[in-house]
Amino acid sequence: MKLTVNRDRCEGYGLCAEAAPDLMHLDDDGELVLDRDDVSPESSVDAESAVRVCPVAALKVQ
Amino acid sequence: MGQHDHIVVVGASLAGSTVADTLRRRGFTGSLTLIGAEPRSAYNRPALSKGVLAGYDGFDEIALPPLSCEVDQLIGIAAVALDTQRREVVLADGERIRYDKLAITTGARARRLADLDAADTGVQEITFRDLDDAQRLSWLLAARPRTVIVGAGILGMELASACVDRGASVTVIDRQPPLHAQVGPFLAELVVKAAERRGVHFVHAPDGLRLRGRTSGTPIVELADGRRLEGDLVLSAVGCLPEVDWLRTSGLAGPGGLHIDTRCRVTPDIVAAGDVAAFPSTDGPRRTPLWTAAFEQARTAATTLLDGDSAPPLTPSPYFWTEQFGMTIRMCGAMPPLDKPTVLEGMVRNGVIEEGGLLLRWNGASGTAAAVNRRIPITKLCALTRPAPATI
Repeated sequence: MKLTVNRDRCEGYGLCAEAAPDLMHLDDDGELVLDRDDVSPESSVDAESAVRVCPVAALKVQ
Repeated sequence: MGQHDHIVVVGASLAGSTVADTLRRRGFTGSLTLIGAEPRSAYNRPALSKGVLAGYDGFDEIALPPLSCEVDQLIGIAAVALDTQRREVVLADGERIRYDKLAITTGARARRLADLDAADTGVQEITFRDLDDAQRLSWLLAARPRTVIVGAGILGMELASACVDRGASVTVIDRQPPLHAQVGPFLAELVVKAAERRGVHFVHAPDGLRLRGRTSGTPIVELADGRRLEGDLVLSAVGCLPEVDWLRTSGLAGPGGLHIDTRCRVTPDIVAAGDVAAFPSTDGPRRTPLWTAAFEQARTAATTLLDGDSAPPLTPSPYFWTEQFGMTIRMCGAMPPLDKPTVLEGMVRNGVIEEGGLLLRWNGASGTAAAVNRRIPITKLCALTRPAPATI
């Protein structure tokens, strides 16, 4: 599975980073950084939760 | 909370799926059932009056990923009653689902003028709430109808924007000045000017209105002063009502929804979250039918089911956004802010926001910040609402 973020949509809420702290974080400017875009099977539940909580549907996992 | 218990979640949109997901992620290993009336899995509802109506988002873009945790999902079947004595949820097909603990996340439905006794009996009202409504309206807009929208809150104004963008002519009517109760007078005036530049016509009806039926076709909007407004399409955008009809016999809910405490409890064994729930506020229990409120409440509700009194109470962080008439507005903090804001960045000239957008902070008691047509990470925007202003 791969994680992608649509930068035009992302507004830096950070709800995803709370749901999947091992996969992403907000940097000092409040911008989302994906630490890994390849999602291991163990972290797929976290990744899906992160996608689900995005208010603007900016995050996708495929 | 025993790990052999059965938790039932009624309502499978954002709040319900967040409750289920949070329970599993926090280690609940008992059985879990999620019941949803809509015949499809959860999707991003705020996008309906934005991207879906504008035509750039379809269901695939706005669908939430399916829950991959272990949960029995009963989707497309409504709960019709709750028996708190026997701890059973009664489904439309008569089946009874027993629970040890229950989460109620049934959301809201569109309020109709008929609910306000402001429509003739039998009038067909068009409202906007779910994906079917959005797809139907999108289809109707292809004919570029003369459109009359009753209600100038966030939804009514987003619909007006989408309708003019699709080539319809639009009249918006409300008893209140447009958007004042949602974004305050300063931003409301900017939006109304932008709407008027795009040809939207506003009608103020302080003494109310009535939707009058005709022998055939579209109803007419009749104002208290006798003026009548006709259109090919009349839309009612007059708020939403909590989906509590199914709780009628339970005695749990009133017309204002399910009153919850700061841990989202209705009773020791029942929690509620999202548009159906009224959270404590300084003005008493109050529903906040917004995405972030549904999400925070759902997370709190799930934690409370597992941890009871040791779950941390929720301190809401109010946030909402809207896109309309070429303006994207994001707001954090107390709403609506009624005083005049300080413009931290950007400029307004002749009612038009200059390139680069605006960053606003209300210095009064409200503690509110807004960004208009300006990208700023939300955590930074929310930081501006705190008493000691952060530097950006």
